[in-house]
Amino acid sequence: MTSRRDFLFNTGLGLGGAALAGFVPGLTINSATAAELIDPLAPKQPHFPAKIKSVIWLHQDGAPSTIDLFDYKPELVKLAGKEVPSSFLQGIKTSTQGGVGKLFVSPDRTWKQYGESGSWFSNLVPNIAQHADKLTFIKSSITVGATHDISILKLNTGDLNPGRPSLGAWISYALGSANPDLPPYVVLYNGKSEPRAGSVNWNSGFLPAVYQGTAFRPGNSPIFYLERPELRSDVQQSNSLALLKHLNQKGSAKFPADTELKARLRSYELADRMQTSAPEAVDLSKETDATKELYGLNDPISSGYGTTLLRARRLVERGVRFVQVVTGEPGVDTEVTSWDAHDDLQTNHSIKARQVDKPIAGLLEDLKSRGLLDTTLVVWTSEFSRTPWGESGSGRDHNPWGYTQWLAGGGLKAGFTYGETDALGVQVADKEKAVDTYDLHATVLQLLGLDHLKTTFLNNGRSERPTVVYGKVIKDILA
Amino acid sequence: MKYKILYAAIALSLSAGISVAAEPDTAAAKPAANTVPNNWAYKPVQQVSAPAVKQKAWVNTPIDAFVLAKLEEKGIKPSPAADRATYIRRATLDAWGLLPTPEEVTAFEKDKSPQAYETLVDRLLASPHFGERQARRWLDLARYADSAGFQNDQTRANNWRYRDYVIASFNSDKPFDKFIKEQIAGDELWPDSLEAKIATGYLAGYPDNYNSRDLVQRKYQIETDITDLVGESLLGATIGCARCHNHKIDKVSQKEYFQLQAYFANVVVNEKAPLPKGAELPVDVDYTTHQAAYQAATKEIRAKQKAILDQVREKGRKYHNERYLTDSRDAIFKPEKEWTPLDKWVNYRTNAVASERDIAAYLKQSAENKKGLEYDAANEPLWAQYEALSKELKKFDSLRPTKGSNTFTTVSELGTVAPETRVRFTGIHEKPLEAVEPALPALWAGANTKLEITPTKTSTGRRTALANWIANGDNPLTARVYVNRVWAQYFEKGIASNPGDLGRAGPKPTHPELLDYLAGNFVKQGWSTKKLEREILLSSVYRQASAERDDVLKADPLNDFLAVYPRKRLEAEEIRDALLYASGKLDPTIGGPAVFPQMPSNLVAGDNNFTGNPLWEVSKDPNDFNRRSIYTFVRRSLPYPLTASFDPADPSHPHHKRDVTTTPLQALALFNSDIVVGWSQALAGRIISEAGASEDAQLNRLYEILFSRKPDSSEKSALKAFLKDEAKTIQARAWTNKFEVAVPTGLKETANLDPVKAAAFVDLVHTVANSNDFAYRF
Repeated sequence: MTSRRDFLFNTGLGLGGAALAGFVPGLTINSATAAELIDPLAPKQPHFPAKIKSVIWLHQDGAPSTIDLFDYKPELVKLAGKEVPSSFLQGIKTSTQGGVGKLFVSPDRTWKQYGESGSWFSNLVPNIAQHADKLTFIKSSITVGATHDISILKLNTGDLNPGRPSLGAWISYALGSANPDLPPYVVLYNGKSEPRAGSVNWNSGFLPAVYQGTAFRPGNSPIFYLERPELRSDVQQSNSLALLKHLNQKGSAKFPADTELKARLRSYELADRMQTSAPEAVDLSKETDATKELYGLNDPISSGYGTTLLRARRLVERGVRFVQVVTGEPGVDTEVTSWDAHDDLQTNHSIKARQVDKPIAGLLEDLKSRGLLDTTLVVWTSEFSRTPWGESGSGRDHNPWGYTQWLAGGGLKAGFTYGETDALGVQVADKEKAVDTYDLHATVLQLLGLDHLKTTFLNNGRSERPTVVYGKVIKDILA
Repeated sequence: MKYKILYAAIALSLSAGISVAAEPDTAAAKPAANTVPNNWAYKPVQQVSAPAVKQKAWVNTPIDAFVLAKLEEKGIKPSPAADRATYIRRATLDAWGLLPTPEEVTAFEKDKSPQAYETLVDRLLASPHFGERQARRWLDLARYADSAGFQNDQTRANNWRYRDYVIASFNSDKPFDKFIKEQIAGDELWPDSLEAKIATGYLAGYPDNYNSRDLVQRKYQIETDITDLVGESLLGATIGCARCHNHKIDKVSQKEYFQLQAYFANVVVNEKAPLPKGAELPVDVDYTTHQAAYQAATKEIRAKQKAILDQVREKGRKYHNERYLTDSRDAIFKPEKEWTPLDKWVNYRTNAVASERDIAAYLKQSAENKKGLEYDAANEPLWAQYEALSKELKKFDSLRPTKGSNTFTTVSELGTVAPETRVRFTGIHEKPLEAVEPALPALWAGANTKLEITPTKTSTGRRTALANWIANGDNPLTARVYVNRVWAQYFEKGIASNPGDLGRAGPKPTHPELLDYLAGNFVKQGWSTKKLEREILLSSVYRQASAERDDVLKADPLNDFLAVYPRKRLEAEEIRDALLYASGKLDPTIGGPAVFPQMPSNLVAGDNNFTGNPLWEVSKDPNDFNRRSIYTFVRRSLPYPLTASFDPADPSHPHHKRDVTTTPLQALALFNSDIVVGWSQALAGRIISEAGASEDAQLNRLYEILFSRKPDSSEKSALKAFLKDEAKTIQARAWTNKFEVAVPTGLKETANLDPVKAAAFVDLVHTVANSNDFAYRF
């Protein structure tokens, strides 16, 4: 039997009743746009003109120490080896493992100013530094949590518990897909291991499953079940698809008003196209050697991560809305996997920085030279950062109270810095300027033309939005 | 604020059938045809009798009278009964989640007795497959998983006991009120019953990060999960809204939310409760035997390791505990005699997640990090010895039991006094406000309902009080919420269409009297799920055909009044199980530890877990590939890829309703997966064995197995044309160097098999199994 969607809409991909009930409040619906709901991934209009088309979300897994990368603290250098003055620790909960207390500076850290903006960069990121004037720093970032997993969840979904939709899922839901042959929301990572906690960080939560991120695994066949079985030839396959179409057409002829049955028929045609378009999108064989080198593919430490970023650019070129890139392990034999430097920060960060510095710089340069930087937003982010005091002598503990993230791309004040941390990099200096994950989400949505307060979904009678009950757009960084 | 108007419009459209798309702006202004008050769900269930109808012959059960009365009022005729084959396929999928066999279809079609439907339905309800299917729906609500979630996503080796408890409860038709009490307060109410303790796995199933350094906050996260679970799954209430702000639509204040949370303030979970002697199942004995063999073989190594760790144990434990944040650490380092109830909780938790690995980590740190404060040169040789022993120990890994446990998981409490519960400003843990005592929201229980709380010897008794209030025939919500869910399972949507929200924001019931009749009758019949489902299955409403009707599309486009049976796509598990069943490979074993069927190889390789355990070790026993989906291990961070795109339940939260989305990823999974191809080969083999060499007979059999009917003549000619053409295509490949094809499997006699024709037949079977006629039940 038909259901209400069948009455309301005529063709295309179908969506379940509960989902439809949830569809309506957030986006301006009228009879003209109702047609968009037929296909849950059909492109939808934003609330106001968008500054950007796509987002590349560079999650630095394990939490880099931003006071070792972008947030220069001369006072910390002066006080290194001394106890943290208690005035800096007001109102925060800390651990004492490894002897919290003594301020720590990595021995061979040096700092320089770059570009017209004169932003500071450490000697760990000489390549990113070349793009100083393209970056918009948020040096007053805050979040919740002392363990990676809950803060990673919050970074991606806005909650400390699993189950809310990730930012990418909200964006797919609100804007649909700009290329029906590819998923609108793709997750990339390098290395053998799945990102920690797996799919809860690219889940659609209470949004329909169609909006969840599709993980593109490393290798030539990025999506599960993308390739036809080994023993089936392409002619056999097209014969089978032709028969399937015939049977499904015949079946759905008995239900002329039923769009869901027609949608399923069409999904096989889309799948057939995706079988070609997805491997093509991640195939780097047509990229020049110069481009590959730009992304650090010639260095074993950075080649895995560089490959994911080059893939990210190709996906953005093909209209993918949200590319979530999680840093995996560096491509050399080392105990260092993530940025989580509880001890021996020097070794950890020199390897991790070398893994990401050239690829990220390459991405910025490549996007710029292809004219894509104006319509793309690159977000360099992490679940939290690290403390100015040492842990285990040579490492740093977690710091959710004040750290740096940066953005680059359309609609932003480039070569600009917003907010600051206190003199030692413990906490945000001015609490009024604190930027929580919700604020970052609201700002990303804003750049995509979406009002985070109006991007809503009715879940079990509860109108939900990406920023939960929080969030404000960081207006000061918008161009 | 246009979106607010639209919000109202959709709510109306669900109850009154007004089209949103046509006129969203005016819809809100129209008076709704539905005169049910907004707070209907909180009013007592009314005694109702079946209304009078004209077409008396159509009424099989009282349900039909309620539905027919509305249809007659609207002037719509109900649909004729579906043919028997369609009915048995529908009912078998709905009751079991499996297909009927062709023999079962024929027997039902030939049953001339006036009791034919009753005989069929009673057979379906008596089968253990009934419990498997119903349990899956309950496990959706219980956010069931076999792992803890978060970054390490550790295996919870006991959870299958709770899953089997749920299956057994549905199979034994356990009264639903008892089922509720066991799950919320089994440990308090039946302290000597293993079954009742296992039942509390419902509460214990929350996602957890054992690695958390902020235990006070973790406690709050756990209580939040449990409160929302109970509110949503049992009371159909979106209570979670009120955690951050007074509920905007239902009148529940933030204070009331935290008063409800206080019922769970003293809950702790023991994931290592030893199974009582004599209670072991054969799988437990098996586990114990394997475990004992492993222990015996490694006794010496482990003893040496322990001796090493003992030398640094005190320092190591202290070092580990220093990782906890300020307030947790205060509790951990406080002398036991000074413990508050909250300190007790924090210490219980600390011990529950403590392990030898913590001490080993300290030893490593103190031996390797020369710059660290813990560095102790004396520990270097100790660590070297320890590491060498670990390598030695690893050689015995193959002796470890691969599944199961000798323990069970249960909730209990830490004495009769609970830690205090505080209201939290906008729900943020770091912003505590006033302390509150357990109480029910006035919206549910009336202004002055105070539950009598009687502590037991070891616990507060709070949960018993709450369970008794929920599992009570006078509670206006409990039975309504449940019967509405069961209805939604058979008819695609509830009588109040959103089974997750019976509050003011939720759609109102289309048939309020029917809902009250079902709820009242359910309680009267001893909270029997089987009696409830029997009545639904036998109703004329359920028996109707699903054929599209123009008059209904015009008069009742949302099919609120059920003049037509709503067709539905099979759920994720049904798709896998039905294909497995059709292929003849399904292993019908009920229950037992979760299994690990095939997984794409890139997810099996690698060291995909923090603690060194792989995310997924494909089972060595191929029978495990063929178990029903309810037994597939639920790893929170890794949904089973084959079915992940078919809208399965998300185990993060109570999952109320399976969405139906249609995506190319689903098509890729069903069309390209080697697993599905393997089933198609087995199904092709089964058909050839059962139908013989005749092409006609084979095609009939295929359709009978998958669709419970024969192909019509036009289908048959299309299928035959395909076979001919496909054989030619395959034949052409035979001239290439490498000729390999997928042929039918499981055949006893293969001498006369033409590999080209046989391969074409496999392709045909595979294609037909991908069609809408398979993926839907009509």
